[in-house]
Amino acid sequence: MKMPRRAFLGSLGAGAALMLRASSAQDTPGSGKVIDAHDHLSNRRQKGWEEADRRMIDAADKLGIDQICCSILPPERPTTLEGFRQCNEWMADATRRFPGRVLGYCFVNPGYTKEAIEEIRRYVEGRGFIGIKLYNDYRITEPVLRPIIELAIELRVPVLSHAGHTSWLPEPQPRISDGGHLAEAGQAYPEATLICAHIAGGGDWEWTVKALRSAPNVYLDTSGSVIDEGTVEMAVRVLGADRLLFACDMSLTASVGRIRGADISEADRRKILGGNMQRILNRRRV
Amino acid sequence: MIDVNAYLGHFAFRQLRNNTAEGLLRLMDRKRIERAVVSSAASITYRNAHSGNEEIAAEIRDHRDRLIPFAVLNPAYAGWRDDLKTCHEEFGMKGLRLYPRWHSYKLTDPACLDLVHMAAELGMVVSIPLRAEDRRQRSWLVDVPDVDKDEIAGVVKAAPKAQFILMSGSGFTGSVLGRKNNGLPANYAVEICLLSALLANELGQILENLGEDRVVFGTGMPFHYPDPAILKLDVLEASEAVKEKIRRGNAARLLRLT
Repeated sequence: MKMPRRAFLGSLGAGAALMLRASSAQDTPGSGKVIDAHDHLSNRRQKGWEEADRRMIDAADKLGIDQICCSILPPERPTTLEGFRQCNEWMADATRRFPGRVLGYCFVNPGYTKEAIEEIRRYVEGRGFIGIKLYNDYRITEPVLRPIIELAIELRVPVLSHAGHTSWLPEPQPRISDGGHLAEAGQAYPEATLICAHIAGGGDWEWTVKALRSAPNVYLDTSGSVIDEGTVEMAVRVLGADRLLFACDMSLTASVGRIRGADISEADRRKILGGNMQRILNRRRV
Repeated sequence: MIDVNAYLGHFAFRQLRNNTAEGLLRLMDRKRIERAVVSSAASITYRNAHSGNEEIAAEIRDHRDRLIPFAVLNPAYAGWRDDLKTCHEEFGMKGLRLYPRWHSYKLTDPACLDLVHMAAELGMVVSIPLRAEDRRQRSWLVDVPDVDKDEIAGVVKAAPKAQFILMSGSGFTGSVLGRKNNGLPANYAVEICLLSALLANELGQILENLGEDRVVFGTGMPFHYPDPAILKLDVLEASEAVKEKIRRGNAARLLRLT
């Protein structure tokens, strides 16, 4: 059962007299468009990847998501050179399979400095990728990140960083960045556009929101599986709606429901759903 | 809609909003939720959980048409038999919520089985929230893992006459609880708030494996936004009749609501 996207979103009932109607989309850039700023397509070594990618597009159709900004990650840690090169090639192919619908992040391990720089130039300048995706190979404050962030500034593209903050050391991710690291990097590079990933999938979200307060060039994406009431409202209150980016990171109904349920103005909801990300996309040099 | 997974009161580690009877009812009105099963959020960390039951009974006194009280009891704590009697006879509570990890006991401990059997004799539903909040955001003071699904399987098997509702959980299909023809009694239903309804679509798999009579609507409010659970039903590939069972029919039958 597939419904026209606008019709579906318009039918969501009382709490959902939402935001996404094209007719209300006159005030901010891209305000009628819904952009998922952080998601993933399947690693093609997995059996059934093609069907899985198709399901992602179908799900976006159902939920009224117009564009999905994706990366593909290899499973190995630390990320190998061959691993990220292969994933970026797959990602480029995905942008051809779903033109205009899927936008690509270039995923790299910054430890391979020279190759990572070449990879970013190849895919952002040559293949239309929209940003750089980092996982937990290094913290974003480590010196090895400097050439990556400086290249992002040159190309005017965002750096989306995996992030999380817990009160205990996550052993499998010893070099995970948190909101404090993102804020520190943002203050060191005020011209950069950084995105702190998944407020609702990165541990103590209240800590993260507070840590990001003083770094105006760090955006926060709203993705994740945790559906704690009040998350979006606190982020809007502390950071402002201009710094929030709607995203799902594979948790689709949780992430759409979180924005749908947030007690915020419709203007703020439109900014979060697409207006802010569209503004970031519009800055690109290429 | 009938929400089998709602709360009132304070939680020790995070501020909750809409956590009074009137506040929750306003939220329910906005989301078109007709009735909700509520228990004390504070009882999760009170040593004497029954104090929370007393608070809930007082809080919902004027709202019993829409708020259905459940007791939080700890079978490892003194006086739980007296407390169960009070909750059933005096407070009119229709069921229990058990927190074996927070209260430090096992569902298959003899005292817990005694509690479950007594609840069954009284016609009270036994609900088991697998978590109170996501473990990744836990306080530095406590480390409370999710309730183990094999342990749940043990108690549903040991108490076939009891009726269970498993709440705030996911990954059932990776355990015996979510498998078809699993050899367990059909005495448990699964609540949907943390189940995926797209991509992996665990909700669809559970409907397929356990049947349409064993899935119930719940949100986890005010811990959670209610909207994700509502949205899951919007996108679920199922007939309107099946959705109606999930929205209210199954819960009404389990709770013996008129």
